[in-house]
Amino acid sequence: MRFSALKRDERAGYEGHIVPASSLLEVAKALRDEDGFDLLSSVTAVDYLTDNEEEESFFEVVYHLYKSTGGGAEVLRVQVPRENPVVPSLVELYPGADFQEREAWDLMGIKFEGHPDLRRILMWEGFAGHPLRKDWKEVYFEEEAKPFGNRWPGGQVYRVEDQNPYGKNNQYPDGFDPESWVETEDPLLYENLEKAAREYTEDIDTEQVVVNLGPQHPSTHGVFRMAVRLDGETIVALKPVMGYLHRNHEKIGERNTYIMNMPFTDRLDYLASMSNNFGYALAVEKLMGDKVAPPERAEYLRVIMAELTRISNHLWAIGFLLNDLGAFFTPALYAIEERELILDIFEATAGSRMMCNYFRFGGVARDLPAGILPRMKDLVNERLPRKIDELDLYLSENELVRSRGEGVGIITPEDAIAFSATGPVLRASGVPYDIRRADPYSIYDRFKFDVAVRYHGDVYDRYMIRVDEMRQSLRILKQALKDLPEGEILTGHNPYQVRVPAGEAYGRVEGPKGELGYYIVSNGKPSPWRYHVRAPSFINLTILEKMCVGQKVADVVVNLGSIDIVLGEVDR
Amino acid sequence: MTADLILFFGLAAVAIGAALGMLLSKNAVYSALFLILNFATVAVFFLLLGAPFIAMAQVAVYAGAIMVLFLFVIMLLGAEQLLTSHKSGWQRPIAILLTLVLLVESIYLIFGRGRLLSQVAPVASDYASPEAIGELLFSRYLLPFEVTSILLLVAMVGVIVLIKKPKANN
Amino acid sequence: MQIETALLIEWVVKSTILIFALLTGFAYTTFYERRLLALIQVRIGPNRTGPFGFLQPAADGLKLIFKEELIPANAYKFVFILAPILTVIPALIIMAVVPWGGAIELFGRQIALGLTDINVAILYLLSVASISVYGIVLAGWSSDNKYAMMGGLRSSAQMLSYELSLGLAFVVPILLAGSMSLNQIIEAQRGVWFIFYQPIAALVFYIAMLAEVNRAPFDMPEAEQELTAGYHTEYSGMKFSLFFMGEYMKMIAVSAIFATLFLGGYRGPFVDTYPLLGPLYLFLKVFLSLGLMIWIRATLPRLRYDRLMAFGWKILLPLSILNVFVTAVIIVVFGL
Repeated sequence: MRFSALKRDERAGYEGHIVPASSLLEVAKALRDEDGFDLLSSVTAVDYLTDNEEEESFFEVVYHLYKSTGGGAEVLRVQVPRENPVVPSLVELYPGADFQEREAWDLMGIKFEGHPDLRRILMWEGFAGHPLRKDWKEVYFEEEAKPFGNRWPGGQVYRVEDQNPYGKNNQYPDGFDPESWVETEDPLLYENLEKAAREYTEDIDTEQVVVNLGPQHPSTHGVFRMAVRLDGETIVALKPVMGYLHRNHEKIGERNTYIMNMPFTDRLDYLASMSNNFGYALAVEKLMGDKVAPPERAEYLRVIMAELTRISNHLWAIGFLLNDLGAFFTPALYAIEERELILDIFEATAGSRMMCNYFRFGGVARDLPAGILPRMKDLVNERLPRKIDELDLYLSENELVRSRGEGVGIITPEDAIAFSATGPVLRASGVPYDIRRADPYSIYDRFKFDVAVRYHGDVYDRYMIRVDEMRQSLRILKQALKDLPEGEILTGHNPYQVRVPAGEAYGRVEGPKGELGYYIVSNGKPSPWRYHVRAPSFINLTILEKMCVGQKVADVVVNLGSIDIVLGEVDR
Repeated sequence: MTADLILFFGLAAVAIGAALGMLLSKNAVYSALFLILNFATVAVFFLLLGAPFIAMAQVAVYAGAIMVLFLFVIMLLGAEQLLTSHKSGWQRPIAILLTLVLLVESIYLIFGRGRLLSQVAPVASDYASPEAIGELLFSRYLLPFEVTSILLLVAMVGVIVLIKKPKANN
Repeated sequence: MQIETALLIEWVVKSTILIFALLTGFAYTTFYERRLLALIQVRIGPNRTGPFGFLQPAADGLKLIFKEELIPANAYKFVFILAPILTVIPALIIMAVVPWGGAIELFGRQIALGLTDINVAILYLLSVASISVYGIVLAGWSSDNKYAMMGGLRSSAQMLSYELSLGLAFVVPILLAGSMSLNQIIEAQRGVWFIFYQPIAALVFYIAMLAEVNRAPFDMPEAEQELTAGYHTEYSGMKFSLFFMGEYMKMIAVSAIFATLFLGGYRGPFVDTYPLLGPLYLFLKVFLSLGLMIWIRATLPRLRYDRLMAFGWKILLPLSILNVFVTAVIIVVFGL
């Protein structure tokens, strides 16, 4: 690297470069403009807190940068002291850093200088402290790491509450009274909304109203809230509000052992648990090295399950996008009918329809049961192609679908990349970026398939790209089912505990909703030191405001539906 | 005949009450509602007088279309509440004076000058039938009819012109 | 005096029959809709209450009666309570001028099947239709809720836009029959139904009437995906079910009017010999029209609000004006 400021990270198991906070902007700009690292995949922070007197405690902000033309990552790290940690904000260069920096501020307490709207994003206003810091202890804190100690030593049962080292440990920020607090009085949110509204010029002077779409609303796909300012039916400004379903997945994940996190990832995007498993398994396997390289059959099973998940997810997404358009459940129910057949296969194989918990480090948990393979072949070769054609035939050319979708919520390719959109949202804008091709993992390099891409970037194209992707997934499935070899499904035995050497790894897969990444830092202990999820639903929402401003209320709902979010993954 | 009279006086009371309600209520939406009630009772008067066409037109056009527009505008502007501080000292006495003049005039015309009411000739049974009205509109009153259409057209164009701000302002 | 009493009894009995028919019709239209939607959506639908689920409407009604009635703190209480009533009344009275059959002999008296036959029946329909929007507008305004308000505003704008086309579609059967009385319009369709003479007018009428009763794809005022429930967001219990009742009774009423204007009303084979067949034919036609409405709801996505207005003003209205013009010219030229 030509920057004198850059220093190669010398720690064992780490890659990338350490940048001083002062030259971060300069380095990032050069990387983006000269080297083509235009896609900021993940921004997160790690708390390197140590009890050791000789070592220094510090925060490290980690940036994973990729090229939208494909290839490996450039990892940048900024190390800042634990007291008053300030890092320059990358929002100007990469607007996609917006929510991720807010998340890092919320959960880790790192200030991003120059961020236009640095508010809490997942926690509520009445929350004291930053939960992902290693010295933060939650309400009724028990122990640092699982498995917790015996609660009935010697047959004597005790209440957890009596044994907490910190007692109830319930804290509020200074001057905050939970009894008198009213959520609608969220001055920061509405100030920002007004600021955005001022930039919008209007034709007639009419009164603008603020409407909160959500958190209880039929078409926000869960407890998601959009505070919008309306001029008549036109959106003047929009701010997404999330975190209603926040459970601090990452903090819990850092307390769990590695293998305990596998079923826990199911709960992120609960419509695509197989893909979630896949990403997590890849990240941990990267850390553990070659001794857990999955056997051939397991690799095939992984790909088969991931692609089936993609189809079932897209069926759901299309069905409910049509529902958002006002088609009263008919397309959704026809789509769900096919999804059920896929879930049957999951149930037969993994034992559960949605919370599959199927992947293991070094393979998969169970082999296919007898008799399921012909059913899968029948489904993939006969039924699904026919049904997808049927869906395409009835929906794609519908006059109302076209008129509601075409030209609505347009995302330009430049914007899509800058806002870190991934998955179908990015590819519908004409950027053929699919991790299965751009940075191949598992055995995807063996299969023939095309990266589906559409060029208008509107709602209709985001619908069509899902139809295209289902067809490509079927192509992969046909090849995989034909070539599926016999043999082992797991390297070694199925352990209760895995030993993960110290280091870091970023494992990412092309999930149905976009790039699903797991950033894991290990210090050799049974639990991960840092466990971060790069959730595609969450980051794809960054562009929502830009998509919606200037459009009608009805379009907001459709735009949101076309991004395809699952709140379990947004709020984590 | 007595039944008709009872109906008439009952309705008259409702109509006057509704008119007063419209004038006196502080809330513009309530005023509009009273006006609708008033229109409806007037429509029933027309029915009593044997003019169903006019009665229906009264309901469809005034109570139906025009008042919906009124309500629409009141709600859109959020102008339900009248400003109580807005008082104009000179309007009230003049209004009362003019009302009195009108009242005296009407009483004089109806009861004083040879009892006008009794001199109204009984009307033919098809006096206000759709056919008769259509005939009149397109023959004797053709010019006023067409002029009215042009007036409405002008109003419509005017509204569009007023709404469109000149581009230079933006 | 004797005859007047008999006449009075006749009217009371007929009104009662009509109201009961509408109320039962409302209850079973919801059931019909749920079962037909389920059929279209590869589901089963309600089939547990009574044989084939026939008691489901009763169960629904009971449930709604026992629901808690909520009135928002800042609502305009009087109007808030008035609004659902204003929605139901037009739906109840609009059927008064629609004949359900020819005349029958009963107790030595000639009794017309139908409440009344007035020579301005069409105008009556139009005026009742035009006041039916008040319930929705006032509900939206009085609820003190932004979704409800937007629903109310949408419905008034939508009604104004579609009423014109509806009125012009009424004109065509008037021209063809040369009368505003529904009985004479039905008589004029003795040979061929008007839908075959005037498919465009029938189409315009059907579209405008879907908009008039806020059925999909014109259900803007209660667009669930955008406005949660639109104008009746804040309503619960019986007040909510009154809105429901209004909507479904209006569906039945406009279907009956459509059948009368374009499908020959109660006319059908042998109806002159057996006048009691008249109500049956009308019922069948209404049933089919309702089925079509439900089918449309199950199939089509919703239009966007601005497109809906554009469609009403830029396509439907010019089309219906042209249609009326052409029809009138043909009638004058060929002296039909």
